[in-house]
Amino acid sequence: MEVTALLLQGIFTAFEPLNLGLLIFGCLVGLFVGAMPGLGSVNGVAILIPITFIVPPTAAIIFLAAVYYGAMYGGAISSVMLGIPGASTAVATVFDGRPLAVKGEAMTALTAAAVGSFVGGTVSVILFTLFAPPLAEVALRFNAPETFALMVMAFATFVGLGGDDIPKTVFSILIGLALSTIGLDLITGKPRLIFFGMPGFLHGINFLVLAIGIYGIGEMLWTLEETKGKVQMSKLSVNMKEVGKALGALKKTFLAMNIGSFLGFFVGILPAAGATPASLMSYGITKQLSKNSSEFGHGAVAGVVAPETANNSASTGSMLPMLTLGIPGSPTTAILLGGMILWGLTPGPLLFTQEPEFVWGLIGSLYIANFFTLVLNIALIPAFLMVLRIPFAILAPVIFVLCVTGGYAPTQSLHDVWLMLLFGFGGYVLRKLDYPVAPAVLSIVLGPLAENALRQSLILSDGSMGIFFDFTAKPIAAVIMYIAIVLVLMPAFGPIYRKLFKKA
Amino acid sequence: MTLIKKISLVLVSLSLVAVSSVSSAKPFEPKKPIELIIPAGQGGGADEIARLVQGVIEKNDYASKPVIPINKQGGSGGEAMTYVKKKAGDEHTLMITLNNVLTTPTNQPELGIDFFNDFTPLARLITDTFLVWIATEGKNTQGVETFDDFIALAKQGNLVAGGTGSMSEDELLLGMMRGQFGFDAKYVPYSGGGAVAKGLVGGESDFTLNNPSEQMGFYQSGDSKALVMMTPERNSAFPEVPSSYELGYPDLEYYMMRAFMAPAGIDAEVEKYYTGLLHTVYSDNEFQTFNIDDGKLMSWLEGFGLKDFLAIEYEKHAEIIKNFN
Repeated sequence: MEVTALLLQGIFTAFEPLNLGLLIFGCLVGLFVGAMPGLGSVNGVAILIPITFIVPPTAAIIFLAAVYYGAMYGGAISSVMLGIPGASTAVATVFDGRPLAVKGEAMTALTAAAVGSFVGGTVSVILFTLFAPPLAEVALRFNAPETFALMVMAFATFVGLGGDDIPKTVFSILIGLALSTIGLDLITGKPRLIFFGMPGFLHGINFLVLAIGIYGIGEMLWTLEETKGKVQMSKLSVNMKEVGKALGALKKTFLAMNIGSFLGFFVGILPAAGATPASLMSYGITKQLSKNSSEFGHGAVAGVVAPETANNSASTGSMLPMLTLGIPGSPTTAILLGGMILWGLTPGPLLFTQEPEFVWGLIGSLYIANFFTLVLNIALIPAFLMVLRIPFAILAPVIFVLCVTGGYAPTQSLHDVWLMLLFGFGGYVLRKLDYPVAPAVLSIVLGPLAENALRQSLILSDGSMGIFFDFTAKPIAAVIMYIAIVLVLMPAFGPIYRKLFKKA
Repeated sequence: MTLIKKISLVLVSLSLVAVSSVSSAKPFEPKKPIELIIPAGQGGGADEIARLVQGVIEKNDYASKPVIPINKQGGSGGEAMTYVKKKAGDEHTLMITLNNVLTTPTNQPELGIDFFNDFTPLARLITDTFLVWIATEGKNTQGVETFDDFIALAKQGNLVAGGTGSMSEDELLLGMMRGQFGFDAKYVPYSGGGAVAKGLVGGESDFTLNNPSEQMGFYQSGDSKALVMMTPERNSAFPEVPSSYELGYPDLEYYMMRAFMAPAGIDAEVEKYYTGLLHTVYSDNEFQTFNIDDGKLMSWLEGFGLKDFLAIEYEKHAEIIKNFN
């Protein structure tokens, strides 16, 4: 019951006027940076860190956590309304959010995103409250071989999808993996695949550059061709009936919410992963397990709920290794961690006992931030929907400008803007040829994580792949690895299985 | 629509204000935001100091224009150095250094970076020290109490070292120790000091050569302990950890410098301004306290002293790399 008392105290802390004011302000700022393509929670938090020197650490972390949180909600807005991922964490939201908006069901998509985020956020903060110390222990034991096994499982969920063309999916994954090898080789410390010696390749292919190119520019070209510029969005009405309809659609997404909440949280607490891989993996696994997986990619509500639930859940989860182990669970928490050190706190195993007001104030504020962002989001949906009333002739140049700034912002290099345009055309061609592009996006995010984990494991095992299949030494890695193999083989054995047993 | 018009009006007028601000005669004052290039990723040691410097400047209004940190971590600092080299003559670009600026020009000759002519060194603010860390409950390092115990164990082989990146300070330092003490160890590169610390406590590696701040949390909680600090003297943040000089290994001395450089070809007035600004930051109470508590050494150096220091360090690193290969 000690936890309850501490939590209540934390919630009281969060309700202090300064903290509450900063929390609401942070949510709004987060919504904005999340919705702006190219600006995500990483940039938002990095830009705002200096401001936090003027307030006490507890108020500062509450503010920045609210920005982080709000950005998870905000990313969905431009993903749905414009088809440009607002932040890396919202890329998977484009997959089904955009088709829904095109069908005239933007209201449903936005409501699904907001409610999914709320559920994911709340479930994860409850898990956080109840199980922080044992979960920190799990994160500590999850090393290179386990991480690699998990990455293989993520790829397997994308390959093993029943409906899609498997060779084309594999091809798309390989394109993403090839692109992800450009830049620095962590193991040898040398640059590799620096085409024409251009320094812009030294930082590798930024994932957002690919995603904005494929989805922002590619989508725009596609729409222009399909409609000859005469895009007529279906009429929109915002009334209680629509809200009811949107909420009704959510009833069928129970599975997606569960997967998003639990998987998202788990991936979040693993060091170095974070909300982007969590949202993509949650999308893939939900699609795999869903009864109507063929709807995914064409406007499935569960396809919006899965990534949006997962990114909020993961953002809370990634604070766990930050607070308890002093290691970032995501790029944004890496910055928060720097902030904590600058505020004079030492993240690590002792933080919970030495700074209870800070830790529990943060946890308490997450409960409240969840509630406020849900309310803000639902209240602002009509305003967001107005974007769809703008004629496409005006909207297209705006999208283009947002894509260019979005491609420039993460690395501040013009090189990446050209790359983004190139990816836009490439993505358009792939789509014309009926290749799925989502697996390429997934692999450019997971590729570097998988490669590093694989090579670290192989250094440890002196080059033996056995390290991934050893039930006695690395039971977690082995179990995940075998599940992954089953997932990959499922489409091959599925038809045989059905034939055998239907006839019998 | 009107809202959009209003916003664009504000933006246009803001940009007009920016353009019309007239440049004044000497002494130099920045005319636009100052880019602070960080040749490492977000959340690392260099990033931490860069953002601390930014915070101290903003909080106290030490500069008339804001400082904007930009991470260019590609190619072990190669991306940042190429960028600053191209900015020759630019009066609004600074770069914080870590030791990769000393190794990358040697390791990657294809970048064509001339360490001594492509940059204007301004000042060194801090030197960060290195320690040998083991996990308190390490399964392969049971019974290791002193650095000599550790060396004896390491000589039997089979220990695994965790470190940040490859051909980085950590790996070069390990190479240096291998040569000095005649042991061998596997080296597993991780993406950051935090991940290295976790790998150690999580049982994946047996020892690390982390900076103080990277291991501080686990040190304070008692999950990991330090065997030696690679400096002439003990450090007040780790009072019980012996220095390498005390143990009789004066060759085991290694530092990470946190210095600032500007592009080549800037006026003496500009150089003077930024050196002065950095000195103001260096003298700031908050800046001092933070770094001392973190186990860092405050070590201001500028002008010819700095140039000599860089020349010596550069040669030393070239030598280490040569031996390593």
